[in-house]
Amino acid sequence: MDSSLNSTTDSQIFDSLRLELRRGCLIVAVLAQLRAEHYGYTLRKALADQGLAIEESTLYPLLRRLETQQLLTSQWREEDKRNKRFYKLSPQGETILAQLLAEWNTINESLHKILNHPE
Amino acid sequence: MDLLERYLQAIGQSLPPATREDVRNELRANLAAQIDDSAEELGRPLSEPELAALLKAHGRPEVVAARYLPQRYLIGPTLFPFYLLAMRRVLPFVVAIYFIANLIRIAATQNGLGSIAEGLVDSAFQLIPVIFVWLGVMTIIFAIIERTYDKVGKALNLDNWNPSKLPPVKPSGDEKQRSLASRIADLAFHCLWMAYVIEVPRHPFLMFGPAVSFIANLQVTWAPVWHTFYVAFWFLLLIQLGIKIANLFEALGRWRIPLDLTAKLYAIALTGWLASAGTYVIATGPGIDPLQLAISNHWVGLSIAIVLIFMVLDLAVQAWKYLRGHIPLARLAF
Repeated sequence: MDSSLNSTTDSQIFDSLRLELRRGCLIVAVLAQLRAEHYGYTLRKALADQGLAIEESTLYPLLRRLETQQLLTSQWREEDKRNKRFYKLSPQGETILAQLLAEWNTINESLHKILNHPE
Repeated sequence: MDLLERYLQAIGQSLPPATREDVRNELRANLAAQIDDSAEELGRPLSEPELAALLKAHGRPEVVAARYLPQRYLIGPTLFPFYLLAMRRVLPFVVAIYFIANLIRIAATQNGLGSIAEGLVDSAFQLIPVIFVWLGVMTIIFAIIERTYDKVGKALNLDNWNPSKLPPVKPSGDEKQRSLASRIADLAFHCLWMAYVIEVPRHPFLMFGPAVSFIANLQVTWAPVWHTFYVAFWFLLLIQLGIKIANLFEALGRWRIPLDLTAKLYAIALTGWLASAGTYVIATGPGIDPLQLAISNHWVGLSIAIVLIFMVLDLAVQAWKYLRGHIPLARLAF
């Protein structure tokens, strides 16, 4: 009884920490993926194909927010007889992406150092 | 596709008109592409239950719409700690001002002990809506600061603080601090207790219950010692009221327990004086047997003496608990 409760709590803690860990990474991944133009659905598929599945309800509003922050540009265009909104990384987005990747690399290197030298 | 349009319409209802159509069109395109992909995998169009399952997985319309709206707080994480701090700091003042104002109003407008007691009881109960209104006002004020934080809130300079102004570290032996709720409840109950003490002489039923009619038929009355006791007891209640109000503001610090113990000592002295009086009821007519009256006085005196013993024991235990933490054990050893 106690062990099942503990495992439920552990799982909840892991899920919550995983969510926090992924949140920032997803933004970097979306910006990086949008160096090539995509609309919402194909972007989601492209990310999922590379092992980074993201819910529609998270991705689509995120695209809007990044556009408001001027990191993305968008335009409506017809494709396959349907109007779709295509997103692409803006010049400002490219600068921010480069900064974020540098930061991510620094964190990654530091983490490796910590893991390899625990004392 | 009717289901898809109904779904998009439900989402649109929770969106502002300015962005409604744009978001709906974008979602329509994304969902239609997803539906097409699913149909291609199956080799046939999606059935209605399959479409419903796909939309359900996409999310409840209100929740989906909410994600397109800016994140909104009544009081955001920057201000929230200050909101809680203000609540904790101001609440004791609200309670104290309320009780003091009511005591003054009652004393000025009510006639007779009975109506004063009623006024005190009413005040204690009316404190609850007063606190709710105050909480509402404080929340509105902080919500306004939150909304205008960029223009007005930053002028409050919340990040400006001085570490050297932090209070000194409390000695590790200090007693645990009582919660604010506990201190307010303590004050409220004390006010109720004072109201009860005021009311008892006018309504002996509150003390004797149904036996009051039997006592009323006896040709006896209270001895004068009770009048002196009553005045002295009121003095004790007022001292305790002062202690509890001061305690509300944490103004007593390490003097709280010594003051409580002193008040208990005073109560013991008062009860001891009462126990030594000997006469508690006196005859008012010839129908009372002097022997029975003497026996009654004996039993009342004995009851007071028993109460006195418990009070002394209580004081001894409380004093021991206090001294144990403040005097090194070696000095207490004989």
